[in-house]
Amino acid sequence: MAETSAIRDRVQELLDTAINPAVAGHGGFIELIDVQDTTVYIRMMGGCQGCGAADVTLKAGIERMIFEEVPEVTEVLDATDHASGSNPYYAPSKG
Amino acid sequence: MHRLLLLIPTTTYRTEDFVEAAGQLDVDLVVASERPSTLESYFPENLLTLDFADPAAAARTVAEVAAKRPIDAVVPVDDRTSVLGAAVAAALGLRANSVAAVATSRNKYRLREALRQAGVPSPPYRLFTLADRAEAAAGAVPYPCVLKPTILAASRGVIRADTPAEFVAAFRRIAALLRTPDVVDLGEGADQILVEGFVPGVEVALEGLLVEGRLEVLALFDKPDPLDGPFFEETIYVTPSRLPAATQAAIAGRAGEAARALGLRDGPVHAELRVNDAGPWLIELAARSIGGLCSRTLRFGTGMSLEEVILRHALGLPIASLVRERRPAGVMMIPIPGAGVLQGVQGVEAAKAVPGIEDVAISLHVGQAVVPLPEGARYLGFIFARAESPERVEAALREAHQRLGFDIAPLAPAGSAS
Repeated sequence: MAETSAIRDRVQELLDTAINPAVAGHGGFIELIDVQDTTVYIRMMGGCQGCGAADVTLKAGIERMIFEEVPEVTEVLDATDHASGSNPYYAPSKG
Repeated sequence: MHRLLLLIPTTTYRTEDFVEAAGQLDVDLVVASERPSTLESYFPENLLTLDFADPAAAARTVAEVAAKRPIDAVVPVDDRTSVLGAAVAAALGLRANSVAAVATSRNKYRLREALRQAGVPSPPYRLFTLADRAEAAAGAVPYPCVLKPTILAASRGVIRADTPAEFVAAFRRIAALLRTPDVVDLGEGADQILVEGFVPGVEVALEGLLVEGRLEVLALFDKPDPLDGPFFEETIYVTPSRLPAATQAAIAGRAGEAARALGLRDGPVHAELRVNDAGPWLIELAARSIGGLCSRTLRFGTGMSLEEVILRHALGLPIASLVRERRPAGVMMIPIPGAGVLQGVQGVEAAKAVPGIEDVAISLHVGQAVVPLPEGARYLGFIFARAESPERVEAALREAHQRLGFDIAPLAPAGSAS
C-alpha cells in the first residue's frame, strides 16, 4: 500500500512538473485517476480528450515518460471517454 | 529490439489502431507527424516533426535520426503519408515500394494512365484542370460519367453526371472544393478533375498485402448498398463476399494485375472494383490499408489485427496466418443525414444491444460541423458487427442504424448572426 502511495505521488509530480505543462500547449490536461498495484489510470482532458493524436501523446510520450521516471509502473491505462470530448485539438478527417 | 517508424498525420483516423498494434510488438516506437507533439522535446528521437509536403527533405531528416539509432521499418498509415513512406524507406535502404509506384497510385489520373498502358481494362477517361471551362468540357465526355478529384479519398468530390447540365454543375461544385485551403495544401494534383465513364455494376473492396510482388487477398468486402450516384457515400461493408467463387477469383486477379501495372510490390493495398457482365473493373487501387475505422472488422489467425499484420510484414516478423477469421463481419460507415452542427446522438446503447453488434463508435464530436458528401471530410461514426452469416451481419448493421438518432442543428444562413 505504501508503495502504491509512493507511485501515486511520483506520477502526480511528473504530471505537475513535466507532462501537464507540455500538453497545456494544446489545451490539454492529464488527470491521475488511480494507481492500483503497479497500474496507473489516467484521464485525458481538454484538448487531449478525443484528439486525433491522443494515442501518440499517450503511448509515445506520457507512458514512456512514466515508465522511465517511475520504473515500478508496469501499465498506464487511459480511462478517457474520448467520444465525449467537445474540443479536441486535432479532429480526424478523410484527407 | 526493432525500431519502427510510423508516419501519422495528426488528423488521420488510423492512429489508434496502428499505435495499438505497435504496442502488441516489442518495438521501439518512433512517430512522425506534420506538426510537433507536445512532448517532442522530451523524446526527440521518438517523436519527430516532418514536412509531409516535402518527402525528400523529410527523408533526409529521418536519415539523420536513423544514423544515430537505426530504424528497421517505416509504415505510412494512410494516403497522406504513402509517398513520404516510400521516400523515407528508400533513403534508409529499407524494402518498400518505389516512390514512383506509390506516387502513381496516389493520383487517380496517373493510375488510369498506368492501367491503360498495361492493358488493364478501364473506363474511358479524360483529365481536366480548374483552368478548363466547364461548358467546353461537358461537350467532350461520354455520359453517364463520373467526375472526381485526382487526389482526394473516400468519395470526396466524386459526382455522377448524366447530362451536360449536370456535368457543368458538378464541375463547378468540385472546383469550389478544390479551392478550399485544406485541399490546396495537398499540392500536386489538387487542381485536377478526372472524368471517367460510369461503370454500372456491384462494387466491392479488396484488402490485400503484397509480398514480393504477389497479392495476398486478406479480405473481400461486398457493398450491398447501390453506389450509383449522384454522390457515392459508402455505407456497409460485409466480408466474406457473397459473390460466386469464380467472380471473387477474377476480382483478385484484376487487382493483382493493377498492382503490377502500377509497379507496387510490397505492403498493404486497398482496391475498389466494380463487377458487371464484362467482369471486374478496377476503380481505384491505393498503397495503403482500408480507411476510417473499418479495419476493426478484420482479424487474422488467432485474432491479429490488420495493423499488426502490416507492421509484422514491414518488420520481417513472422505472421502466423493471413487467413481472416471465419466468422462473417461488417461495418457501416454511418450515413450523414444532413448538414449542420452535431448537437447530440441518441440510441447508442440500444444500437449496441442489437444481436451481432460489437461496437458503435461515434467519431464526430458534439459541436463539430456535419458535412455530407461530396464536400464532407469526416465520418459521422461506425457500426461494427459479427454474426454467423453475411446476411445477418448486414441485417444487424441496418437494425442498429435504425436505433440511432442524430440531432443536427442547421447552420445559420450567412449574415444572419446578430
